[in-house]
Amino acid sequence: MKVKVDKTLVASIALHVLVLGWGLVTFSSRAFVAPEESLPIDIISTDQLAQMTNGQKTGDKKEAKPKVEKIAEAKPEEDAVGKVTEKKELIKTNSTPEPPPKPVEKPVEKKPEPPKPVAEAKPKEEPKPPEKKPDPAKEDPIAELQKKLETKKPPKPPEPKVAAVQPQQQPKPKERSFDPAQIQRELDKRAATRHELTGTTMNASAQLGSTTGTAVANVATWRGAFQGAVKRCFTPTYNGQDADQYEADIDIPMKIDGSLASEPVVVAVRGPSRSIAQAVAESAKRAIVQCQVYSFMPKPQYESWKLIPMTFGLKDML
Amino acid sequence: MNRRRFMTLTGSTLAVLGGGHAFAQGQPRLRIDPTEFQPVPIAITNFLPGSPADGDVGNGVTQVITNNLKRSGLFAPIDQAAFIERISNIDVAPQFQNWKTINAQALVTGRMTRQPDGRLKAEFRLWDVVSGQQLAGQQYFTSPEYWRRIAHIISDQIYERMTGEKGYFDSRVVFVDETGPKERRVKRLAMMDQDGANVRYLTRGSDLVLTPRFSPNSQEITYMEFGQGDPKVYLFNIETGQREIVGNFPGMTFAPRFSPDGQRVIMSLQQGGNSNLFVMDLRSRSTTRLTDTPAIDTSPSYSPDGTRICFESDRGGRSQIYVMAAGGGQAQRISFSKDDTNATYSTPVWSPRGDYIAFTRQGGGQFSIGVMKPDGSGERLLTSGYHNEGPTFSPNGRVLMFFRDPGGSGGPSLFSVDISGRNELKVPTPGFASDPAWSPLLSSTSG
Repeated sequence: MKVKVDKTLVASIALHVLVLGWGLVTFSSRAFVAPEESLPIDIISTDQLAQMTNGQKTGDKKEAKPKVEKIAEAKPEEDAVGKVTEKKELIKTNSTPEPPPKPVEKPVEKKPEPPKPVAEAKPKEEPKPPEKKPDPAKEDPIAELQKKLETKKPPKPPEPKVAAVQPQQQPKPKERSFDPAQIQRELDKRAATRHELTGTTMNASAQLGSTTGTAVANVATWRGAFQGAVKRCFTPTYNGQDADQYEADIDIPMKIDGSLASEPVVVAVRGPSRSIAQAVAESAKRAIVQCQVYSFMPKPQYESWKLIPMTFGLKDML
Repeated sequence: MNRRRFMTLTGSTLAVLGGGHAFAQGQPRLRIDPTEFQPVPIAITNFLPGSPADGDVGNGVTQVITNNLKRSGLFAPIDQAAFIERISNIDVAPQFQNWKTINAQALVTGRMTRQPDGRLKAEFRLWDVVSGQQLAGQQYFTSPEYWRRIAHIISDQIYERMTGEKGYFDSRVVFVDETGPKERRVKRLAMMDQDGANVRYLTRGSDLVLTPRFSPNSQEITYMEFGQGDPKVYLFNIETGQREIVGNFPGMTFAPRFSPDGQRVIMSLQQGGNSNLFVMDLRSRSTTRLTDTPAIDTSPSYSPDGTRICFESDRGGRSQIYVMAAGGGQAQRISFSKDDTNATYSTPVWSPRGDYIAFTRQGGGQFSIGVMKPDGSGERLLTSGYHNEGPTFSPNGRVLMFFRDPGGSGGPSLFSVDISGRNELKVPTPGFASDPAWSPLLSSTSG
């Protein structure tokens, strides 16, 4: 018995199977990924951003260029150069002295000096930061170390390498020789970078019209996070029309883990009614205690928030 | 006026902070100014009965306190179903962690016990859940029938301790109760607790009554009644039920109000097409004319210190609010509408705190209730609608009560709104109600 097969039906089934199969593969649910730990953030309005970047009217016109930019660009380069000189000195002590070619003598002279003085001198000669940066991908310090141990080549290799590294403009990637200073140089470079970018005194002086002029007032720091956390728990019981006249100054002793070291201390209260002002202060104290622990506070900066002076006001209640 | 600022330095501050305080002074103060008002979460447990027979009273006290604090708008009582801990002894400190878990900032516990002499003993404690400290604790003795008043007094204690302001719960409201169809409306004087309970009718409704006002000791009410002849101002003694006419003037007298010391009544006297302000000494029965203008001067109200009065007058062409010395003299207009030059202002009433004058403003086809400072600045409308009128301040000056008439075949109802305008509530009354007047605080709550 011959079964009659409808070709269109077969084609339809095949197409449906294909579409469903494609859908299963494409829209299959992905493995659940646990959300990352939440971080306190502040949402800054355009007005606040404008205020932060406004600069300060009292700033000094002469120092229009912020110190931040100057220090951050100069130091990493200087460090790299300074470490090259150290390497060169080590090599020289192990081998016979050879007169270095060309003006490479300058680094040799700076060998014994600490990195800072070198940094001051170098920027003038090599103002372009990108050129000075060595290419870390092309250098393999461990491989160099292994090769060095195997071959034990005398002074020859080091010399050309020193000459090549010093300018840092044309590093020789394929030469593999033992160079312990190279490892140190790499490590020092990373450390130097971190140090330079986190300078806290860079914006100490007021700038006029600089984009970072009032960066110190940026609330997107632990200050803003702390304010936001306490604000969530602050429920003052007064919303009269003279609310803007009430304030309470409270000092908050903190532990390094973000909890309170002791009870918050009411330093002063202000307002037309003493009893209302004290009630505002008590409400503020409750908020501070209730909202702890402030675990997001940056431990490295503990000294700056060991004791947090805070003012609670009601001026925006109306 | 307590406008001066003050600074309180706690002596312990320097001792506690020591060098740390100097450190704190070296860095800028962080500042927090909440932009939104949020009520304080508070847990109010059922008052424990001293004996099984006291269970209903204990629960009733708890309900009254919860209702008072909730209606104030400053507190958010937590649903008892969320309570983790059951209080079995108010003399033992609660497990505060259990109350922190449900986000309570304050906790109220209490007990009602019948004494051998038949009186009722009420005890309560107010706890700061966050710090674990007792903020207040009191006990009262009263006759069992006054258990509601005890609940109001405890509410005032909690309110005052948490906000720093006097409460207003232990107070009464006198108003005009209205019944019957609109064309034959019966109006009676009625009095109730501020929460709408314990309604008492003071007149039978045979004569029309208007504008009742409490005396400072809350024992007397002055009001206007349409009797057989011209409408007259009457004095009504709440305890004895006796009434008497204030003065014997040839024309109509209306819009009476007591002076802050309760020794005088200020009112309007109609003479021809005009009306002027007069004050009568209740002891000597002597009267003094305060204004003499070819206009309608009415709705006078004393400042809390009794040195000034505010009133409404159309001497400038439209009804506006004026302020002058209590003894008369030059009056200064304080109401000036910025957005509607045709707006009129009426029914001014001075706040017990002295900081504001409440009024009814008519303009733009609406009646609004608002407040302004005594110099006319800071005008703020709290509510608007088809017909809102007759504001009266709570004893602490934080809340206004007024009546609202939606129009149509219905009738007016009482509403309350806090002076920020955020918390507007309907006040329960048996029927239609108008012309409310809030009494002073019946008892002092300062512990």
